[in-house]
Amino acid sequence: MTQNNTRPHQASFRDPSGYMFYDGDVLRRAINPIYFKQYNALKDGGFFKTLIKNKLLVPHTQTTVSEHQIVITPEPIAFITNPYEWSFEQYKHAALHTLKVHKYALSKGFILKDASAYNVTFDKGSPVFIDTLSFDFYEKDTPWRAYKQFITHFFGPLVLASYHGTEIFKMLQSHIDGIPVKLIASLLPGKSKLSSTIYTNIHLLAKMERTHSEDYKAETKIAKLSLKAQNNIIDNLFDFIKKLSIKQETEWGNYYDKTNYNDTAFQGKKTLIENWVTALKPQRLIDIGGNDGTFARTVVTKVPHVIVTDIDSNAVGYNYRQIQQNKETNMLAFVCDVLQPAPGIGLNNAERNSLVERLQCYSPDVTMALALIHHITLSGNVPFDRSAQFFAAFSKHLILEFPTREDSWVTSLLVRKREFMNHFDFYNQEAFEAGYTQYFDIQKKEIIPGTKRVLYLLKNKV
Amino acid sequence: MNFLYFDPGLGAMIVQAVVAAAAGVLLFSKGVMYKIKGFLGLLKEEDDTYDSIDIDEKEDTDDTK
Repeated sequence: MTQNNTRPHQASFRDPSGYMFYDGDVLRRAINPIYFKQYNALKDGGFFKTLIKNKLLVPHTQTTVSEHQIVITPEPIAFITNPYEWSFEQYKHAALHTLKVHKYALSKGFILKDASAYNVTFDKGSPVFIDTLSFDFYEKDTPWRAYKQFITHFFGPLVLASYHGTEIFKMLQSHIDGIPVKLIASLLPGKSKLSSTIYTNIHLLAKMERTHSEDYKAETKIAKLSLKAQNNIIDNLFDFIKKLSIKQETEWGNYYDKTNYNDTAFQGKKTLIENWVTALKPQRLIDIGGNDGTFARTVVTKVPHVIVTDIDSNAVGYNYRQIQQNKETNMLAFVCDVLQPAPGIGLNNAERNSLVERLQCYSPDVTMALALIHHITLSGNVPFDRSAQFFAAFSKHLILEFPTREDSWVTSLLVRKREFMNHFDFYNQEAFEAGYTQYFDIQKKEIIPGTKRVLYLLKNKV
Repeated sequence: MNFLYFDPGLGAMIVQAVVAAAAGVLLFSKGVMYKIKGFLGLLKEEDDTYDSIDIDEKEDTDDTK
């Protein structure tokens, strides 16, 4: 801690224009004199205003102005998700959003100088650009300096995912500055060269990068690019990305047909959840393993902010679509694997926080884990006290659905263990309660009518 | 005036001229196709929820006085 109770944000050091810092609990952005001219031009010309009005840029207010520093305070974002936690459709929208912002900037005599995927996140149901200082003056006939970054952060990962599935996005965890162009090109099938957009933006780019990689003295002259030509690049990328799709079959599709719910059971579970959640009057709720948000939606009108995560990228994508269509501005969806949550990455492992750190910061009043424990315990071989420890790290109240051994999903998971089936004899309610009461008190416990499942309301002992 | 804190990649700066030329051809032919399809009534509705690349500028005319 430094004086005045301020401390820098760990992710904010790359851009000399300014930096983010915490002033007590409030996140603010300091602007250095080197960027005053740009900032004032963006502010006075109504540029920020239009972007904010169109919900493209996070809103901010100017807090203090001195000759050494201008401080602005952006509106807080409820929960930051990172590119490797997005579904295909979210990733696509973040890319389109970036192009849209750049195109608008160009039309007003500015450029987007930085096309990092971390400059976009999801808030109020839609992508939003969060780096207010990512703009600079456009210089006549100069190419887009953030072009390569756009390719390595957005275009490359999206094209790769359209061929190989959304698992590709996890590569961003090990490549904080985007997937290298050469690697993108090598992972694409030969037929991708037939697309003039993929060929020029990836394969040719990789080739040019290789050719010019030894220009140590920066002697080669940079070609000129007219404004019209730059707009063509952006328009073409926008059209191409908008049409990208993914062929990825997963379980979510008819998940609720496959599971053990008849209508009564489904309604019974919904009613129980609704009653328990309503009584707790939470401000923030997270549903882990929440599939397409079906159960979180039963309380979405009663809780100011709701997060739904699932391991299945398609389910998250489907949920995101519903959020957009229903305009559920208080719901956020993202991909998370409980057995392998996103780690802290970048400098000091602190540039992008780990999922657990972010969850602790979000501090949900209610955590829901419905029909998740048998997957964690039986597929992940996680002992009860260890999964309890995970939930206890960030949860106040935990609503957990425990499918008993008689439940057909559990039976199926056990049968698949074959000769090791007996190693899982511990999977029963007594052992579950023994593990979870190390961290939680059991407040309520009810059998979901018409099922072999028990719903628990647990309260963190801390 | 512009200051750079990451390497834009020389190849990436040069390649943009070619990328733009290819994009120009593609956009032009798409425009032609669009007109033909429109004439023949073959245009499909888009199913993506993200809107267009253009910002509705009408909205900001009143606050840029």
